[in-house]
Amino acid sequence: MNEKRHMGLRTLNRVSNTSIYVILTIISVIWLLPFVFITLQSFRVESTYQVGYVIPKQWGLQNYINLWNSDFKRWYINTFIIALASAVLITIIQLCMSYTLSRFRFKMRGPLMRFMLILGMFPGMLTMIILYRVLSDLGLTQANAVPGLILVGVASSGMGYYVSKGFFDTIPKSLDEAARVDGATRFQVLCKIILPLSKPIVIYTILTAFMGPWGDFVFARYVAFGTSAGYNVAVGMYSWLTNDQIARMYTTFCAGGVIVAVPVTILFLCLQKYYVEGVTGGAVKG
Amino acid sequence: MASVKLTKVKKIYDNKVVAVHDFDLDIHDKEFVVFVGPSGCGKSTTLRMIAGLEEISEGTVEIDGEVVNDLQPKDRGIAMVFQNYALYPHMTVYDNIAFSLRLKKVPEDVVYEKVTNAAEILGITEYLMRKPRALSGGQRQRVAIGRAMVRDSKVFLMDEPLSNLDAKLRNQMRAEIILLRQKLDTTFIYVTHDQTEAMTLGDRIVIMKDGYIMQVGTPTEVFEMPSNLFVAEFIGAPKMNVVKTNLVREGDEYFVTPFGAKLPVKGEKGRMLLEKNIPSGEILLGVRPEHIVLAKEGENAIACSLVVNEMMGSELHLHVNTTDGTGLIVRVPTIDLDAQGRNALVGGHDLHITFEGKAMHFFDPATEKNLLV
Repeated sequence: MNEKRHMGLRTLNRVSNTSIYVILTIISVIWLLPFVFITLQSFRVESTYQVGYVIPKQWGLQNYINLWNSDFKRWYINTFIIALASAVLITIIQLCMSYTLSRFRFKMRGPLMRFMLILGMFPGMLTMIILYRVLSDLGLTQANAVPGLILVGVASSGMGYYVSKGFFDTIPKSLDEAARVDGATRFQVLCKIILPLSKPIVIYTILTAFMGPWGDFVFARYVAFGTSAGYNVAVGMYSWLTNDQIARMYTTFCAGGVIVAVPVTILFLCLQKYYVEGVTGGAVKG
Repeated sequence: MASVKLTKVKKIYDNKVVAVHDFDLDIHDKEFVVFVGPSGCGKSTTLRMIAGLEEISEGTVEIDGEVVNDLQPKDRGIAMVFQNYALYPHMTVYDNIAFSLRLKKVPEDVVYEKVTNAAEILGITEYLMRKPRALSGGQRQRVAIGRAMVRDSKVFLMDEPLSNLDAKLRNQMRAEIILLRQKLDTTFIYVTHDQTEAMTLGDRIVIMKDGYIMQVGTPTEVFEMPSNLFVAEFIGAPKMNVVKTNLVREGDEYFVTPFGAKLPVKGEKGRMLLEKNIPSGEILLGVRPEHIVLAKEGENAIACSLVVNEMMGSELHLHVNTTDGTGLIVRVPTIDLDAQGRNALVGGHDLHITFEGKAMHFFDPATEKNLLV
């Protein structure tokens, strides 16, 4: 009787596991299809316009060569500079802010945290017009859009303190105190004790800080305002999708899409372990 | 090596809660002082003020004659061992111990010598390349002590260092701390809530309650002459029995009359009562469980019935009820009873107890202060 029930349970488990995997496989195929499609189109050289089939009839690297000879190089460098500078500066500011809010007790700390949390709930787009005015007055629009976009990204970065502060809160304060008794300054405590224990959250912060500007479109387009020299890849490539360009540039556009995805994919593949830990884990175990 | 002097030290938190009130204490060079008291009594806060981890609201802390109120922890010449060990999880045991030396830019060969030396004293040499998570509680605590040792500090601060260990290991580590103290020969300030640790380790004990010092004295002083009821009940396990009764003076003789008995206060205690000219009246009478003895029925004996008999191995803890229902605890060494006597001590068994004058402590019922101090 017991054995029968046991067998029944095992079969039920197997059926439910199999159906879950089948569903997940279908979802992942659907999810991957656009990527596969774009990648295949990027190697199509028999025509440059949209066609009704997926597998290229003639394969080649012409689209990538076209890319190299276009403004794409400039846009790519622009995007890379914005994303890298933002990632470095945002990470530094955000981690310092989080450490301060996690470890220091000062007047108005609570209200300040709540104020920033509420302020962060408003979409950034609301500030677009006034920010453009400010950037324009500073001469940081159009051809100078790169430093302008870095400034905008970095300026409000301290407000994203809560994820890393939550992580720092899990590190016992006695570690800071022990280090201070051992002779470390506050800055040394942060660099030698807290940050090495916070690898996942540092990587999470770098990744999110890099990803934001890397995929930015609306704000980047607004700030560059029709000047190709200030475009990032998203804005630049969008300019190829106009009615008069699309027939000539469609496959090049696909090649650009592949190139844009490469660094982000590599970053995620290398750092996904930390990324998941950063979102879900605490620092000090055992 | 240094003395530590606290003068009118006060800790007031932002929410106006006063954690420590006018704390005055002189700790001599190479002395081992233990702060003991229940949770929330301010003992750890006081230690943290000495360490510089907590701001001093009022008063001064001097280490070796120098006021250190505004000095950073690293500049106070102290080393500290924390309750939860506070080992750096990402560093090996070696790096943990070497951390403070490397911050001071001590040459690596000196670091090596100091770390291996400390590890040898503490018996952790074989674990030097391990991370803290691969160590047991006792080993972690040794590493924490090692980290404090290499700093060659003037004052060694320990904040409940044995609280996270199991009972057996705690006893072992307690003995090791005594040995360590002999080896280091420096000033120790030790915080604990465990009165056994306080009694066994301290040259002097500071007993605290609600941010106030209740008594400062040697273990013998606080045990034999507690200055108030709190100290009397806090020190000693099981805690002192306290009953409300009358002190009766007849000429030059004193008696107490608990539960209808009439017990003479003879010897030293009787003489002290006489010297202080204590009048007859209601008092709180304290007697430690180990000073109560089983007796035969008579004028000097209190009748009671046994409620619970706890066999502790070397002794029995008898929980008894007197005729008016007051609960007392009596500690009887098992060696004093034969097997028959031991077997007879079951719940409901009637027995008689008594105690001598030298075992009695007299407290004022209003102020709870010891009448003889």
